[in-house]
Amino acid sequence: MSARRRTQSFPVQLWDLTLIQLANWRWSWRGMLLTSVIAPLLSTAALGTFAARDDPDTLAYILTGNVVFALLFGTFDKVATHFAYMRMVGRLDFFATLPVYRAALILATVTAFLVLALPAVAVTLLAGQAMLGLTLAPSPWLLVAVPLIGVSLCGLGALVGILVRSPEEVGSLSSLITFVLLGFGPVIIPPDRLPDIIETLSVLSPATYAASALRQTVLDMPDRIPLAVDFLALAGFLAGSLWVVGRRMDWRST
Amino acid sequence: MAVYDVVDLTKIYPRQTTPANDRLTLSVAEGEIFGLLGDNGAGKTTLIRQMANLLAPTSGAIRLFGEPLGSAPLYVPGHIGYMPQDGLALNNLTVGETLYFTAHLRGLDRRDARAERDRLLDRLDLGTARDRLIVRLSGGQRRLAMLATTIAASPPVLLLDEPTNDLDPLHRRLVWDLVREINREQGLTIILVTHNVIEAERVIQRVGIMRGGRLIAVGRPGALKAGLNRQLRLEIVFAPGSPPALPPGPAPREVMPGRWQLLIEREAAPAYLAALNGDESVEDFSLSTATLEDLFLALAERPA
Repeated sequence: MSARRRTQSFPVQLWDLTLIQLANWRWSWRGMLLTSVIAPLLSTAALGTFAARDDPDTLAYILTGNVVFALLFGTFDKVATHFAYMRMVGRLDFFATLPVYRAALILATVTAFLVLALPAVAVTLLAGQAMLGLTLAPSPWLLVAVPLIGVSLCGLGALVGILVRSPEEVGSLSSLITFVLLGFGPVIIPPDRLPDIIETLSVLSPATYAASALRQTVLDMPDRIPLAVDFLALAGFLAGSLWVVGRRMDWRST
Repeated sequence: MAVYDVVDLTKIYPRQTTPANDRLTLSVAEGEIFGLLGDNGAGKTTLIRQMANLLAPTSGAIRLFGEPLGSAPLYVPGHIGYMPQDGLALNNLTVGETLYFTAHLRGLDRRDARAERDRLLDRLDLGTARDRLIVRLSGGQRRLAMLATTIAASPPVLLLDEPTNDLDPLHRRLVWDLVREINREQGLTIILVTHNVIEAERVIQRVGIMRGGRLIAVGRPGALKAGLNRQLRLEIVFAPGSPPALPPGPAPREVMPGRWQLLIEREAAPAYLAALNGDESVEDFSLSTATLEDLFLALAERPA
């Protein structure tokens, strides 16, 4: 008769798996930290030179848009690439034969990347306000917004990493998704400069809610989308994608 | 009770027409050590990966303890330990960390997981490798670390794909002893793929021989060898470079340079050995009953 086996609780699995994933960066964290800081910082500086100094709204979109780039799309891309790598070296098989929830593995992977993304967010915000002449007005809700934005696309990242055939193709697809979602909505570009159709379609993009949430919690800017709606939309993307990838999708090789 | 029931299982990989597994039907009983033998490309690893629920079958069904493999997300991982043929699953963890996390995630509390780690490090001669990254281990040590990880916290079913690859004779013996020990003392069901047929024969209780994606024989080694029992296996060693000048009889097969094997009828053995006796180029010879390897070779050479 099959003996009933004990399974660890979801939080315990998440803790162990996060430690395992963090161990991946024990030798490479300095390089990863540096590259994750430099990209949004350079982008903020470059776009800031094109914006008029007397247009604080545009400058605010540039600053928060670049933080979204680092936080939302940076972790999305890293999760996608890491899942492709895990599939290639057999690590996904190892986890698939352990009694752990797939959602715990995905969340653990993104948490490990999020830890490395946080310094990039802080540096971009602090250096960005100095470069662009903005004044930060952080609210306590920032402590909710940052982790929620960071993890909200992890399910989609895992989906891309598992389904796409090679790590090279994963990189191309993840860049394509990043630039489409960044461009199709008021993320780096203010809404009044976007065509109506793109502004309408932007309600489907998680980047829209991430940027809105950051503007409200970092700069205290009023926004057409209430903060609660931003949080609900981001949590919805997270839960929906985890449900699809964790429970509905067949991870087995074909 | 059957641990695994495999029914009419077929696997055809995408963009291929030849099945890697062709209508396999097999049952593995609880507590037995079942060996899967076959030449390269016979479909053994494909079968094992489907039993571990890592590969989707094209058709057919697999049941584990009576439940279909996909019945609940954690059902299969909650019952098996799987050792792949290769892979660097956790190459950035130390051996000690890998064993601890695996045992803990398989349900042991933290203290028991630490004790399990220490027990396995000791049992598999990995004490000196405890704090070394798996990626920095030698091939043999990595293989032992993978085996230790597979058996951590004693999952009731072990699927071992080539457990003795890359191991020296001393450690191969350690692995076979361990397989026997955990089967006897903990009642674990062990399904293993191996090319070390002669060594595995000492532990395997039942065997399935695969060829071209099909199971061509399943049963106890003794029963399967019954057909060969009228024959004896003669192994003859010549000086390197010296061609064999053997008495007339069955065709010999060179298994390695200077080492030849043949199967002869029991009745013909005394005369054959007498004829060999005068041949000074023969350095050594041994005579034994047919082995599982002989059975495997006899089946492999039979026309499909």
